[in-house]
Amino acid sequence: MKKITLIIVLLTGILFTACEDVVNVELDTAAPKLVVDASIEWAKGTDGSQQTIRLTSTTGYYDNSIPVVTGAVVYVTNSSNTVFNFIEVVGTGNYICNDFEPVIGETYQLTITYNNETYTATETLYSTPDITNVTQDDQASLDGDETEVRFFFQDNGLEDNFYLVRFDIEVLPYPDYDVLDDEFFQGNEMFTFIDNEDFEPGQQVDIKLKGISQRYYNYMGILINISEGGSGGGPFQTPPVTARGNVINQTNPDNFALGYFSLSETESTVYTIQ
Amino acid sequence: MALPLRKYLTVFSLFFLMAASAQEKFTLSGIVTDAGSNETLIGASVFIIETNTAIATNEYGFYSISLPPGTYTVEVSYVSFGTIRNTVTLNRNIRQNFQLTMGTQELDEIVISENQKRAAIKKPEMSVNKLSIQDIKKMPVVLGEVDILKSLLQLPGVTNAGEGSSGFNVRGGAADQNLILLDEATIFNSSHLFGFFSVFNSDAIKNLKLYKGGIPARFGGRVSSVLDIYQKEGNSKEFHMNGGIGLISSRLLAEGPIAKGRSSFLVAGRASYAHLFLKLTDNDNSAYFYDLNTKLSHKLNENNNLYLSGYFGRDVFNINNSFNNVYGNTVINLRWNHLFSEKLFANTSLIYSDYYYGLELDFIGLQWDSGIKNYNLKYNLKHYLSDKFKLNYGLNALYYDFNPGKVSPSNESSSINPEQLDKKYAFEPALYIDAEHTLTDNITVSYGLRYSMFYRLGAQTLNTYANDQPVNYDNDLKIYEKAPATGTQRYGSNEVIADFNNLEPRAAISYSINDNQSVKASYNRMAQYLHLISNTSSPTPLDVWAPSGKYIEPQLLDQVAVGYFRNFSNDKYTLEVESFYKKIKNRIDYIDGANLIANNAIEQVVLNGRSRAYGLEVLLRKNEGKLSGWIAYTLSRSEQQTPGRVAGETGVNNGEWYKTGYDKLHNLSVTASYELNDKWTFGSIFALQSGQPVTYPNGQYVYGDITIPSYGQRNEDRLPAYHHLDVSATYTPKPEKNKGWQGEWVFSIYNLYNRKNAASISFRQNEDTGYNEAVRLSIFGVIPSVTYNFKF
Repeated sequence: MKKITLIIVLLTGILFTACEDVVNVELDTAAPKLVVDASIEWAKGTDGSQQTIRLTSTTGYYDNSIPVVTGAVVYVTNSSNTVFNFIEVVGTGNYICNDFEPVIGETYQLTITYNNETYTATETLYSTPDITNVTQDDQASLDGDETEVRFFFQDNGLEDNFYLVRFDIEVLPYPDYDVLDDEFFQGNEMFTFIDNEDFEPGQQVDIKLKGISQRYYNYMGILINISEGGSGGGPFQTPPVTARGNVINQTNPDNFALGYFSLSETESTVYTIQ
Repeated sequence: MALPLRKYLTVFSLFFLMAASAQEKFTLSGIVTDAGSNETLIGASVFIIETNTAIATNEYGFYSISLPPGTYTVEVSYVSFGTIRNTVTLNRNIRQNFQLTMGTQELDEIVISENQKRAAIKKPEMSVNKLSIQDIKKMPVVLGEVDILKSLLQLPGVTNAGEGSSGFNVRGGAADQNLILLDEATIFNSSHLFGFFSVFNSDAIKNLKLYKGGIPARFGGRVSSVLDIYQKEGNSKEFHMNGGIGLISSRLLAEGPIAKGRSSFLVAGRASYAHLFLKLTDNDNSAYFYDLNTKLSHKLNENNNLYLSGYFGRDVFNINNSFNNVYGNTVINLRWNHLFSEKLFANTSLIYSDYYYGLELDFIGLQWDSGIKNYNLKYNLKHYLSDKFKLNYGLNALYYDFNPGKVSPSNESSSINPEQLDKKYAFEPALYIDAEHTLTDNITVSYGLRYSMFYRLGAQTLNTYANDQPVNYDNDLKIYEKAPATGTQRYGSNEVIADFNNLEPRAAISYSINDNQSVKASYNRMAQYLHLISNTSSPTPLDVWAPSGKYIEPQLLDQVAVGYFRNFSNDKYTLEVESFYKKIKNRIDYIDGANLIANNAIEQVVLNGRSRAYGLEVLLRKNEGKLSGWIAYTLSRSEQQTPGRVAGETGVNNGEWYKTGYDKLHNLSVTASYELNDKWTFGSIFALQSGQPVTYPNGQYVYGDITIPSYGQRNEDRLPAYHHLDVSATYTPKPEKNKGWQGEWVFSIYNLYNRKNAASISFRQNEDTGYNEAVRLSIFGVIPSVTYNFKF
């Protein structure tokens, strides 16, 4: 349903010869905070033992490089207290585990010790349905001249489900995310799509689908909104907020970390534009 | 339910006694109309020279004044009409109607009066602005489309959330806190095209009045302001048409008598062009709006008048047959004016109004319908007890039927499950009484009381929650989340789910220092039982209204205002200075990431807060001469706070006060018009305002390979200052022509020096490079336009 507001915003853009230009705005920079990018992804058909957690920190808005956080101690435990250590590739901020044991429905706890402060996060590993079909439409979207790639999957009618979708396309330098819930689709075939006017035959579209928790769904919804500049700006902008994730600073709660610890089975496919 | 009315009644009876102790008097009463069309004149001045008493005609052109027997000189005047002076010997009750003649017509004995614009010195009425349609039409506007709502922005204390935004904000209040009445019917959405134009066709409008404070007791249900708009009745003497051709739309109005002098009709239509603004070449696309105003007036006899008015407006968008969007208002209103006696004027209104929003998104297989239906009964009595004492009392009952949304599959292949979100019902009755009372030569007071009630009714099934808390707070993560429903409770049809009642006292006093100067003060309390569920900078047509109920409390306002009013240089200039302070309880805010559309349990994402606003308004007007106009300056602050519900909760913005999106610290507007000669008139507007409050990022981070701006406190930054200069020129080729075809050209340029005002600044990654950038969106650059108006 969030799409509806987006569409209204799109429409206002189309209707009016509004003009956008890049301006120089001086910004302050707040003290750095730890950013936890801990998405455990169990790709279907693999054993899921190889996992990476990335630690970085916040920095000035216009800075072109993101400072990495090195020297932290990172591990994940499951409900039977098995410890999976994540060892840093020194100096990269990437913490790697080679013996992770993913189990659907299992609850895991992440622990990070950095600068004498301990951060924890708890989350459950969610299952993901298969992608059943991918289609292409060359006269899609509002103005009918964009190419759309749409994929389908089957929702589980026995429970409320939340999904995160990631598209990586060649014409965008960053991924495109979308969150979905099954509120009006309970038990039905669901879909989502990506469209772009610069799609060319032969280009690849990487599609990744994950089942996620409701809390992570809320988090990613906020994140997607603020990363897109607050629903596109103009009169229908929503106020930007700080997206609080599930990582808690146990030592000093006010110095909270950004980011999220999530675990999902993942379904991926690559589609080549026809 | 015990009514704590007793103490107020005592006060009232006291004043009644004072008023009744007067000597024997006779009543002079009647109707003031436009001699050309028989159109009644609202707010015309009836002035008794001997006693120095002035009274204004009411919304139906009626006046009544009681005086001791004697011979009096009566002076009747109205803006840009000639003044009539008559001698009346009052030895019995006299019914005397006056017909004023439009100033442009040559009549030697009549002096054209502009002094209607002078500040009312003796009346306790304050914080009220009137704009005549003639004035509004002279103002330069975007694309030449005369816009009643945008013209309000030139008044002190009125702003909006930026160019292209819908609605308006009065004295730091939100857009959903304005009661917008068209012929007494509530209009729920006042904008076409997402806010670019208003739904009011200026041709069909007679008069408008904006109450920003000191709001009389007969109005209720919104806390910020009342915009009272009256449609024309239609010419009951002759058939006439007028219209206009503009860049956005064309207009046509027809009016005339059905039975001469007794009944008349008016039909006014306006339609925009079908492919408005669409840069798209496909012919399948259309985007347009239209509206239709109708009115039938019938005079049954001297004491009874009937009015049937209607409004129907729609916005229609159809893009590629995959996006279909229709929305708009419908209003039908039957009114009956009845004169019980020379002193007692009654009006009964039966009103139906609805707002419909429909959206079909074929590419995701969704059909969406939502809306609000409203049935409204008003019974109002104006009682002109004496020249020093007037009463206005009555009742008002509204029944609401809310449809927050119906979801259905738009085609056979759609996999959407149909669902009707819970419909909501409410009943809002109110009783009120208002007195205007001249105590001494210098002091006039008005005081009143509204007793409003609100019943949220079934049938509806409501969720129940642990501890009656539909929102949970996670103390570790510091986030608000929907609380899981613990069960449901079924309420039967018309069963009361929740009820509220509020006493809303209103009071105002004026003390006139002399004939040209006065000071005034006012207080009003108001209750608002409806909330517009919206977290965007300005409301969207998709937003739904939610009634107060088990989990959402009514908004309550207290406002005080003081003012100084002065006419000087023989009424050539008027100065009005006012200061106000207001606070509102139960202003709702939303948890982070709240989804407000198609949310069946809105209470799960709502937090209760409050708001306050205060400011100083200065209005200096030049009322007469070739150059006329005004300078309005407002210094104000508008803030909102949503604290945590218990200690330890963060609330919104860490529980601290933050500026609302329409807070404008400085707001200056200069509106001028210059009559060069009979053929040429020029108009101009200059606006200069503080930029809107916004939140700029104070850092960035990367998560999942996307860059996220990180934000600090809400609305601590401001967009760059907002200013623009607009000019217009009106050319009347044959000004001497009074009969037959009369034409007029209006040329205007909006934003003359092409200021790129920021409607917003967004922070996002560049689509090609991936680097972060700040992107300014400016909506209107320099826009020239031309409109041709005609009448015959």
